[in-house]
Amino acid sequence: MNIPSFMYLIIFPLASSPLVYLVGRLWPRTFLARGVALLSILLTWIPFVITVQIALAGGKQEFSIETIWLRLDGISLLLTGSVLLLGTLVILFSGRYMAGEVGEEKYYAMLLAMMGMIIGLGCATDLFNLWVWFEGMAISSYLLVAFYREQPASLEAGIKYLVQSALGSVLVLMGIALVFSQARVLDIFAVREAVSKSDMNRVVLLAAGALFFIGFGVKAALVPMHTWLPDAHSQAPSGISAMLSGVVIEAGLIAMLRALSALSGFSVSWGLLLLVFGAINILYGNLLALRQTVVKRMLAYSSLSHIGYMLVGLGVALYAGNELSAQGAFFHLFNHLLMKGLAFLAVGAWIYGVFLQNGSHASPTLEDMAGTAQRYPLIALALSVALLGLGGLPPLAGFMSKWQIFTAGFQTENVPIMLLMIFMALNSVLSLAYYAPLINRIYRNEPSQPVLNGKAIPFTLLLPLMILTFLIIVFGFTPGLANWFTKFASGSFFVMFGM
Amino acid sequence: MTGWLIFLVIGIPWLGALIVWLAADTRPAAQHVLAVSFSVIAGVISLVLLTFASSQAVLYVSLGPAFGELTFVPDGLAVSLTAISAVIGSLAVLFSVNYMHGEKQLGRYYFLVLFFIGAMNGLVLSGNLLFTFFFWEITALCSYALISFYNDDPKAVAGGVKALIITQVGGIGLLIGTLVAFANTGSLQISYLLSHGASISPNTLSLIAFSFLIAAAAKSAQFPFHTWLPDAMEAPTPVSALIHAATMVNAGVYLLVRFYPAFAPVPGWKIAVMLVGLLSALTAAWMACTSTDLKRTLAYSTVSQLGYMVYAIGVGGVMAAQFHLLSHAIFKALLFLSAGAIIHAIGTRDMLRMGGLGGRMSFVRNGFVIGALALAGLPIFNGFWSKELILEAGFERSPLWAYVLMLIGAGMTAFYTLRMTWLVFFGTERAQLNVHPTGAAMKIPLGILSFSAFTSWLLFGRLNNLLVRTLPFHGLHFESTRDAVQAVLSAPITWLALLTIFLGCGLFWLMRGKAMLIPKHDWLVSSSFGFELFNEWIGRVMQNLSSTMQTTQTGQLNWNIFGVLGALLAVLIALCWSGV
Repeated sequence: MNIPSFMYLIIFPLASSPLVYLVGRLWPRTFLARGVALLSILLTWIPFVITVQIALAGGKQEFSIETIWLRLDGISLLLTGSVLLLGTLVILFSGRYMAGEVGEEKYYAMLLAMMGMIIGLGCATDLFNLWVWFEGMAISSYLLVAFYREQPASLEAGIKYLVQSALGSVLVLMGIALVFSQARVLDIFAVREAVSKSDMNRVVLLAAGALFFIGFGVKAALVPMHTWLPDAHSQAPSGISAMLSGVVIEAGLIAMLRALSALSGFSVSWGLLLLVFGAINILYGNLLALRQTVVKRMLAYSSLSHIGYMLVGLGVALYAGNELSAQGAFFHLFNHLLMKGLAFLAVGAWIYGVFLQNGSHASPTLEDMAGTAQRYPLIALALSVALLGLGGLPPLAGFMSKWQIFTAGFQTENVPIMLLMIFMALNSVLSLAYYAPLINRIYRNEPSQPVLNGKAIPFTLLLPLMILTFLIIVFGFTPGLANWFTKFASGSFFVMFGM
Repeated sequence: MTGWLIFLVIGIPWLGALIVWLAADTRPAAQHVLAVSFSVIAGVISLVLLTFASSQAVLYVSLGPAFGELTFVPDGLAVSLTAISAVIGSLAVLFSVNYMHGEKQLGRYYFLVLFFIGAMNGLVLSGNLLFTFFFWEITALCSYALISFYNDDPKAVAGGVKALIITQVGGIGLLIGTLVAFANTGSLQISYLLSHGASISPNTLSLIAFSFLIAAAAKSAQFPFHTWLPDAMEAPTPVSALIHAATMVNAGVYLLVRFYPAFAPVPGWKIAVMLVGLLSALTAAWMACTSTDLKRTLAYSTVSQLGYMVYAIGVGGVMAAQFHLLSHAIFKALLFLSAGAIIHAIGTRDMLRMGGLGGRMSFVRNGFVIGALALAGLPIFNGFWSKELILEAGFERSPLWAYVLMLIGAGMTAFYTLRMTWLVFFGTERAQLNVHPTGAAMKIPLGILSFSAFTSWLLFGRLNNLLVRTLPFHGLHFESTRDAVQAVLSAPITWLALLTIFLGCGLFWLMRGKAMLIPKHDWLVSSSFGFELFNEWIGRVMQNLSSTMQTTQTGQLNWNIFGVLGALLAVLIALCWSGV
């Protein structure tokens, strides 16, 4: 059987996951588990490069087992690249961060499994298969969120996440059943054709759409299904917080889009729904972040508002058929991964230096971070770059993707959409009201007591921060670099929705 | 060649910013030297660039959809403002060598100052609206970070965040205007908007014009956004001189001048601009008359003088506005740097504790007095000529009442300037202050600026020539320095203005004994004519909304599940209602 290169992107992480676990159990308390994990993820870059080359040349990449198809399109490629990029950095970061934790090998095994599942989810083209990958991702992420099982808060976060996510999965499954009852097929393109041609019970299909929207919306952290997110983000190990915020909720969003695209054949404006939920997410996330004193929770709420920006971008694309808007939304997805990944990893490096090495698993408050720049100038710089980028200030990447979404919004010349853009711009200003005070605290001359007691931070924790900081600045100055993959993704987005 | 100069005038300060930052705070001497070298090189390049002015765009880089083409246009407006920001920037950096001596985190300070200088040059040179916005926001970012440079002081943090948020609201104005323009013309080039302004539908054009007016007012601290500038005075004084007097606050004026040809036909726009300028000039002058903090007084005065420029644009006196911008940049930088030298020497900003310092700081006093005379508009200093030109334009082209009010404003300017000078340098000593000597790195910039405050008006003809040659859309006329001088001296209203200025001075002289008695807790002033309350109200509403929303995050699983199911029900209803 001829296996196309992109399949190795799924196979490598999934196959190395049990291997890492075994190695970790056979030789506990050594560097072997993390070494194998890092090696296998580095190896995964080889098929990725080949896949990108084929994609650039316009080659079709698909694979089937019987009637189940996996296809690689622009959106899958974007998701795969994102997972690989952040995953590699997180594994590198976790090397010292997780060293010596009980169950270190499970951490890497689960992380690799989760990455493989996300990549698979990106390529899935039928509804049930999509759900399976989605569940695989969810299960591996529960264990990672509740990794510090001795900590009550961490277990609580894990349980909440588990229950809410499971509820979402059930809703999705019911939705799939409803669709199947009508269309008698599961392949997304086939479903789309079936529902657009024949006379079917619209109410049942609409109910299925609602179930998809809410079910996947739990994972994508749409308000009011978001309630698991602040706990999970703040209690998970920092590398996992970065993955959750940078990739997992976005994977939920992409799964939702895939499922909804199956139902795009009849005239319901999913775009409008995305716009409404996007606007709510932006405002709600910002308001809750405004008075938050725990840094990781603040970042978690800021993720809500950034998911909102992506939703609005995609909503405008669907509602007004504007390709630039989808491109902006996918660019923002990528930039958010860089910025939020950097923010969580920077806070993680801080936690490692200040708390973990002093035997504490606490989550820092704003006051704890005062004067960080005195002791850890690099962390201070990285975190400031991440926060200012999230606030949408040039010359950082976050500004450019917001600009694309805004430009597209104004191109529609639709007054409500233009008002929505102004609302979003005002919200960006509002977000500065919580980012800026944190930056000011970081640069105080008088360090807080915990910072004064902080220990040195090894280079492997700082290297990922440097790489991400560099990328955020590069994409801020030369947004054109992102054009090829955001355009590819938005092209696939329109193909998917048959527009 | 021009392309290279533009590249350097932005790139050199940015490169310097990086290098100074990399030099690390453990080597302050190296940081001082590096910062001064890079800023002086940038200043020299900006002066060379003056001779390469043209209206032709250079440096085309295509950036793909939604970003347009990156171009720079070295026209007269751009290169003259670049020269102002780079030269005054280098003087402020030189001044900092003494002023910031021994401060912690010098790397961050110089990084931000140099980053600002480069961005300011980029802002005025950019020929692409996206990049105008890009640089515009970088200047706001630097301004915020420098205002809160002393992060341990809650007032500095609050002032910085306030400046950031208010200028960001202005940024939204610029953003919206730019996006509307782009959506309607399909081009982000400024020259395209200027040449095709007439083809845009009137409603759209007025939306763009008023959005830009909001942007300009917020950036230049004009009414009703004037509240942030006084609070920005927590910044180190060289920064106040550079960013909050001589350069960044001019960006709003720049924006209005730049787009004047396109927006002037928009009904109501010129009147609105005039009113914004008028209200800012008068309210700020009033506040300056009662303030007792030296730097805040200067900040109010900046708002007021910027108001004069905005007023001039509103009445069509683009040349007068631009000329006053040059004069003001010089004399206000001089005043701020002198104030910095004073504050550095005695350690307080409170004018009530000063007094009688003149004898002990004669060099600084001389500089300050020259700056004050220019600010008050007394001949033959540069402020006299430019203010007279503005008043003349106002007399010819605005309603009489507006002209009269601006004339009264000139009298108030003389009043508060004299009061300020008197409180600091003359009269009796009110507190036993220990005066530190003024360093050489402070004296050089003060000397250069004092000399310029005397002589910069001689450049009128050259500035005029530069602008006329390279601004094809503005319809300016050739006028030599001699013409302008003759026009000012022969106009009867000049004598009227001088009379008002002397009346202002005379009034202060009669009240000088009571200068201290002016109410300290004047409600109008402490609340910036009520707008402070508005800011606080917005802040409170947001905080309350946030607290209310926090109650929705209960942490109870039942409630969370209810949220999911409730949303499902809502979406189902919405879909069935709209879709069946």
